Amino acid sequence: MDSFKRILLVENSPRDTELILDVLSGHNLANDVFSVSDGAEALDYLFRRGPFAGRTDGQPAVILLDLKMPKVDGMEVLRQIKNDSKLKVIPVVVMTSSREEQDLLNSYQLGVNAYVVKPVKFAEFVEAVTRVGAFWAGLNEAPPGNVARPPRNAT
Amino acid sequence: MVLRRQKTLLGAEALQRAIFNSANFSKIATDAKGVIQIFNVGAERMLGYTAAEVMNKITPAELSDPQEVIARAKALSLELETPIAPGFEALVFKASRGIEDIYELTYIRKDGSHFPAIVSVTALRDAHGSIIGYLLIGTDNTARKRVELALQVGERRYRHLFESSRDALIVLMPPSWLFSDANQAALQMFGATSKAVITALGPRDVSPERQPDGRPSAEGATEMIATAMREGSHFFEWTYQRLNGEAFAADVLLTRMEAGGQLSVQGTVRDISERKQAEAELARQAQEVRAANRELQAANDELDSFSYSVSHDLRAPLRHVLGFIELLTREIGTNVLSHKALRHLQTITDAAVEMGRLIDDLLAFSRMGKVELYENLIGLDGLVQDSILALDSVTQGRSIDWKIAPLPEVFGDPSALKQVLVNLIGNAVKYSRPRNPARIEISCAGEEDGRVIVFVRDNGVGFDMQFAHKLFGVFQRLHGTNEFEGTGIGLATVRRVIARHGGRVWAEAALNQGATFYFTLRLATAA
Repeated sequence: MDSFKRILLVENSPRDTELILDVLSGHNLANDVFSVSDGAEALDYLFRRGPFAGRTDGQPAVILLDLKMPKVDGMEVLRQIKNDSKLKVIPVVVMTSSREEQDLLNSYQLGVNAYVVKPVKFAEFVEAVTRVGAFWAGLNEAPPGNVARPPRNAT
Repeated sequence: MVLRRQKTLLGAEALQRAIFNSANFSKIATDAKGVIQIFNVGAERMLGYTAAEVMNKITPAELSDPQEVIARAKALSLELETPIAPGFEALVFKASRGIEDIYELTYIRKDGSHFPAIVSVTALRDAHGSIIGYLLIGTDNTARKRVELALQVGERRYRHLFESSRDALIVLMPPSWLFSDANQAALQMFGATSKAVITALGPRDVSPERQPDGRPSAEGATEMIATAMREGSHFFEWTYQRLNGEAFAADVLLTRMEAGGQLSVQGTVRDISERKQAEAELARQAQEVRAANRELQAANDELDSFSYSVSHDLRAPLRHVLGFIELLTREIGTNVLSHKALRHLQTITDAAVEMGRLIDDLLAFSRMGKVELYENLIGLDGLVQDSILALDSVTQGRSIDWKIAPLPEVFGDPSALKQVLVNLIGNAVKYSRPRNPARIEISCAGEEDGRVIVFVRDNGVGFDMQFAHKLFGVFQRLHGTNEFEGTGIGLATVRRVIARHGGRVWAEAALNQGATFYFTLRLATAA
């Protein structure tokens, strides 16, 4: 199993971020997790612009995407990713509190790869996060060219 | 030639004799003083005397009602301004003066019985014109009197009905179509002090210038009468105006009446101002109720939206509480924590989990008020199986006897109805926990107005029917959370969903003898 598969975590709540990271690391799935706290940051990262203009490493193997975020929300991020020829191949898993039919519909219509509702009970939460992580960042074959490359000045 | 003359004479004589002796007329001839000289067969028959008994003995006055004779004398005295003695003179005075005289007289028969007669009196004169006697021809007027009486009685009855009726009754006559008659109730209604006042007026005089629809009353009244004349009767609403100026609405029935070749229109007028007022009040109240309903609906919608978004937003912090309790526990280390400490942490977790259930139920409930329901054709059998599967976590490890009958297809929103079944079956599972085995039956109990009655029955702890009215209230529970967990919203949600489907829910139970929950749904009849 390739331990270089990167997860991009787009999560607005620092608490949820902490919980998710804790669960992932507890199951050895957090080897390479990059977290951003809002949609604008996520897009800058993926499009290699703004503060991430000089980014040279590869794209993530999966994006865990929260929906309810201020400024640029998850749906907008999803739309931009799936409308970009290069970015659209990256699997996106929406992870949100909402089980709203409208959100489900819109997400799938935009081409989301999976939609997971964050469970309230912790045991269920752990299971959800580990299953998602183990599949997308583990079992699933990432699109080619998306593995993080070691920095250039390595031999 | 002599023979023929004799024959004619005889024939004429015989005829005369026949005429004189006809039984239908009493012919009494008297001398100038009134003493009866001739008393024909008719008179014998009518009066019961033989001619021999009266001839040359009495005057016709003695065959008549004495009071009448006296009264007649008095009346004649007044009329002719000359004293007339009560007696035969009274009977023949006019005739003696050459004035035509026909009058009513009551004869008294020999047996004492009376009968009314019409008598015509003529004076008999000699060649010189002197009176030699009188001829009184009479007919029995009994039959006619009887008819007259009947008519009088009829007329009196009608008059009584007319005058005493509490409905205002009026009569209009052509060509003026003014009031020719009005009863007391009508006088009162129009504010007329007497019949004299009202009979000088017509409908337009007791109506305002114009009717509520703007039409001139005079024109309208003419048309109403014309319609009644044409159709036979006409029922309509009209606005009148009492003589004191007060206007009032009335129901009017006009009917055409024909009697004795005379046409008239009879009318019944009923003051409906009270009824109109009540109607207006009712309409106003209905409008108020409608407005209040709209406000209520708006408030409900707002509440639903609010509950919905709040419940939704509460999930994240709840998740954090539960998550960080775990992280905390792990951080401290379970071997370091005392029994009590661990128990406290568990209590916090349990409380938070309960909060989560409440939030979920509230979310489901408020969503059922907001969200649009789809109308699909649903196979209830499949939906029941899905619901039981969804309850897998609570049915595991339990011994349950399922008795599920084939269910029909219905119209409804699949996810909403699944919620209903999950709630009801979940309750059945929950409240039959003390039973081994639990028996849960899901079946139909007949139809009601094109709707199927479905029920979920369990053999669990049941409930006291006197609290049945509380069952479906929001946050209403009949058991404590220590006996059976629950939020008290499940049944409220069920009722809401079924109500939005146009059906009804109800329950029957007895303490410790299980419960049955019924609900109705629209049947999908074969196309």
